[in-house]
Amino acid sequence: MENGRHILGTFDDALGSLRNNVLTMATLTERSLNNAMDGLVGRDDDLCTRAIADDAEINELEKQIDKDGIDVLLRFQPVASDLRRVISAIKLNSNLERVADQAVSIGRRARKLNAHPPLLEVELVEPMHHHASSMLRDSVNAYMREDAALAREIKPRDKLLDEMNSAAGRTLTQRMAEDPEQLRGYLNLMFIARCLERVGDHATNIAEDAVYAVAAEDIRHLHR
Amino acid sequence: MMALLPEVKAQREQLTPASSVRTVSFMEARPESTTANAPAFQVKNLSMWYGSKQAIKDVTIDVPSKTVTSIIGPSGCGKSTFLRCLNRMHELVPRTRVEGEVLFEGKNLYGAHVDPAMVRRRIGMVFQKSNPFPTMSIADNVLVGLKLNGLRDRRLLNERLEKSLRMAALWNEVKDGLRKPGISLSGGQQQRLCIARAIAVEPEVVLMDEPASALDPIATMKIEELIAQLKANYTIVIVTHNMQQASRCSDYTAFFYMGELVEFANTAKIFSNPTRRQTEDYITGRFG
Repeated sequence: MENGRHILGTFDDALGSLRNNVLTMATLTERSLNNAMDGLVGRDDDLCTRAIADDAEINELEKQIDKDGIDVLLRFQPVASDLRRVISAIKLNSNLERVADQAVSIGRRARKLNAHPPLLEVELVEPMHHHASSMLRDSVNAYMREDAALAREIKPRDKLLDEMNSAAGRTLTQRMAEDPEQLRGYLNLMFIARCLERVGDHATNIAEDAVYAVAAEDIRHLHR
Repeated sequence: MMALLPEVKAQREQLTPASSVRTVSFMEARPESTTANAPAFQVKNLSMWYGSKQAIKDVTIDVPSKTVTSIIGPSGCGKSTFLRCLNRMHELVPRTRVEGEVLFEGKNLYGAHVDPAMVRRRIGMVFQKSNPFPTMSIADNVLVGLKLNGLRDRRLLNERLEKSLRMAALWNEVKDGLRKPGISLSGGQQQRLCIARAIAVEPEVVLMDEPASALDPIATMKIEELIAQLKANYTIVIVTHNMQQASRCSDYTAFFYMGELVEFANTAKIFSNPTRRQTEDYITGRFG
């Protein structure tokens, strides 16, 4: 943290604990997403099941972070950058939980896909996963390191993910027409692509909150 | 509308530019300057010394009228001294000296021929510790300033008594015991009595020096609610150590440090994203 120590050591402890829990939440969420996607690509149902099962822990952590955030607000009434850090932590928490929900959805769809012969079109969503995952990692890092420049880079990257999703959708629609027997599988892949696109949206939200925390600037809904 | 007391009118004219003197009622006499955001005070390069010790250093600030301005800062930063400079109360301390200007409605309070007593009538003050006159009743505490200025009309006095106590949100609590001693009231009530006393002489500004620091949370909230009500009619400048109070009560906040004005901005800006690092460190508790 850039600022010096708070006169109240207990405040620094509480804020530090809140941020550590957010980092833990981000780590668990990213792991869940990777498990779900690895389960799809590697046709490994255990990994898919793990992504689904880990959601319970992430949900509990979400509640804990909200509780801790409210506790800091109640006990210390933080202002200025401290207030922004706490508010952003609570908002990050919510976005991370939704990313974990996307991982659960991917895991469920992947298990369905794994029950049938493999589809080459899985290759369409793999690069989307790498892109979304790197956006998520960078946005969380930007928040933790209070790096506004890194956070500002995330939003433009979401456009590429949107384009990848559109392209995958077009290809999969075409394949459905060509190969109607695999229609259900292509639909599942389209759904997974959509989930990854949503992960990018949440990463963007996190990056926006990181900019707010560091620079007190609201960059949401700026269509440039 | 209440008539302007002759002696008040005469003294007010002393502080008012000749071109704007009109024989109108008190409220109407509230000048053009009380339109929203017009400055009540324009403080220019104000410095102040206690003997050889400089307490205020070259402060320049415009205090908007009919708003609440909080002054915050660590102990000894000069905030109470600055407040006292706004109505020349510091002159009650020996060996003080002021440089610079404090323009009140365009006229320098430190100009030649300006009567400090008149300044203090137009710019009233409430102190940290409530200080009702111990031998006086509630009613006499409120009316003492008017009586000292020669007002004898019983009907007018009664009107002013009720109006002041109502504005101080105290009327309903004391209306059946106006002859009881002022010091028989609770601490919070005594402070509101002092506010009633300050506004009874119909000032244009009320300066408050930590008005709630000795009060319990309920009494503090009543004072804060009162401040919110009073700003419709008065310019209020409040010194407070309670930053939550500053953020709740005030429209503008000034941060002082070691006699200097570090930052002055609207309160939301100061408490969400201050411009100066010193302000941020102070309000977030990373100071010193």
